[in-house]
Amino acid sequence: MSLMKTHLHSFHEEHGKLVEFTGFEMPIWYKGVVPEHMAVRNSVGIFDVTHMGRSLFTGPDAGSLLDYLTTRVVSSLNLDQVHYSTICNESGGIKDDLTVYRISEDEFLMVYNASNRKTDYEWAVENSTGFDVQIQDVSDEIPMFAVQGPKAEETLQTLTTDDLGEIRRFRFGWTELARLKTLVARTGYTGEDGFEIMPWNVPLSKPSEAIRLWEEILDKGKPFEIKPCGLGARDTLRLEAGMCLYGADITEEISPFEARLDFVVQLEAGDFIGREALARQKKEGVEKVRIGLKMIERGIPRPGCLVMDDETEIGKVTSGTHSPILQRGIAIAYVPVEYFETGKTLSIRIRRKDLKAEIVDFPFFDIGEYGWRRKRD
Amino acid sequence: METEERLKIGKLNFPDDLVYTKDHEWLRIEGDLARIGITDFAQDSLHEIVFCDIPEIGTSVERGDSLGTVESIKAVSDVYSPISGTVTRVNERLTEEPELLNNSPYEEGWIVLLKSTSMNEVNELLKVQTYAEMVEKIFSK
Repeated sequence: MSLMKTHLHSFHEEHGKLVEFTGFEMPIWYKGVVPEHMAVRNSVGIFDVTHMGRSLFTGPDAGSLLDYLTTRVVSSLNLDQVHYSTICNESGGIKDDLTVYRISEDEFLMVYNASNRKTDYEWAVENSTGFDVQIQDVSDEIPMFAVQGPKAEETLQTLTTDDLGEIRRFRFGWTELARLKTLVARTGYTGEDGFEIMPWNVPLSKPSEAIRLWEEILDKGKPFEIKPCGLGARDTLRLEAGMCLYGADITEEISPFEARLDFVVQLEAGDFIGREALARQKKEGVEKVRIGLKMIERGIPRPGCLVMDDETEIGKVTSGTHSPILQRGIAIAYVPVEYFETGKTLSIRIRRKDLKAEIVDFPFFDIGEYGWRRKRD
Repeated sequence: METEERLKIGKLNFPDDLVYTKDHEWLRIEGDLARIGITDFAQDSLHEIVFCDIPEIGTSVERGDSLGTVESIKAVSDVYSPISGTVTRVNERLTEEPELLNNSPYEEGWIVLLKSTSMNEVNELLKVQTYAEMVEKIFSK
């Protein structure tokens, strides 16, 4: 089976180290994970995230269908507003995490994980009986790039006369970039300020327009030493920010409450798939929760490593890496709720050694120094 | 003056005063001691090395035992001892500067000095030509 490609494939092939990722051939890095990671924390980087899924929901019942499919109320979104949410199964397990954009009164865009490109679209269609709505998979018609970092706004601002400063966090606007009508949202998966941009209507069959926009951003970002960034840095950046990776930190066996994503569950607002199970879970409480662990001793935790309290095995690491900012191992893990106490020392079994780690809050980095809330100079 | 001969494959170097293993370690005889590290091919495959777990001085190993691990952001790789012996020195710098393994795999990025219990084992290791041919085969796959 041949691997799927994005509009940018020729660029990735020429400049990047390619790997297979959920059926796509994508760059793991161009020059290296660490320099790309640092570019985003300190200045600006650009990611091709076209492999993600995108579907448009249009029609009088578009909002009510999304209210039914997702755990958060969509119909209360303002025009030009976007929110993070989840799709759950009947037992309250997470089928996917996603963002929902309100494009107009009757039109919404859903952006979801590459690994669920097909299943999310099919799930939406299956559950749309009785709703007056059209669902269109536009993943191949609308490329998507993430421009992330403290210099992301300055970089993109050089491509348009519209004031990007007016777009607040989790809002979006429309502008022309490289002569392409583009949706520009102040969102991302790095913990930094930045944008996710989608040039509207640039089909996979005509990749040159997307490449032109990508190269223009790289060109305009030169004064800030912009770097194209691969999936490796995307993973270390999101992990440092304490964000979940679908398939690792959140799965169908984990609920939003266990993942400590309580804010995406709005039980009061009417029926949705999984509501009953989640309401019960909210009342009864959860048994295990997602925590952040920062290594005290030297070692890099990896997915599957056991979390220990002295000699007792209490949980498992779901994501782990070396944090380029902290210069330490960091991990996301699930442990019984009674162990969840910030500052508590546990250990992680890394290659037969139990190494000490401390429970910390998300994000892992100091929010005064890094991330979108950092103090501006 | 540079007199040392090196075999090159692409940008990778393989000095001819070393012997090699099929697991991509190198070994240099220094009197009755053996200095051990990972090859240019190994560091290039791992790419950015961010962590190196080195053994304690005095550790005894058999040939093929793990001497520690070398880790990049994405991958963990064992360093296997090419011969049996006792660790007499370790490269402490690697704890703080694991990038030495990338930047200077045969010099500053050495990992341990081993006192061999059976130097005969050295004769069974690969000569540079044999190792380089093996690497070339990996590349041509």
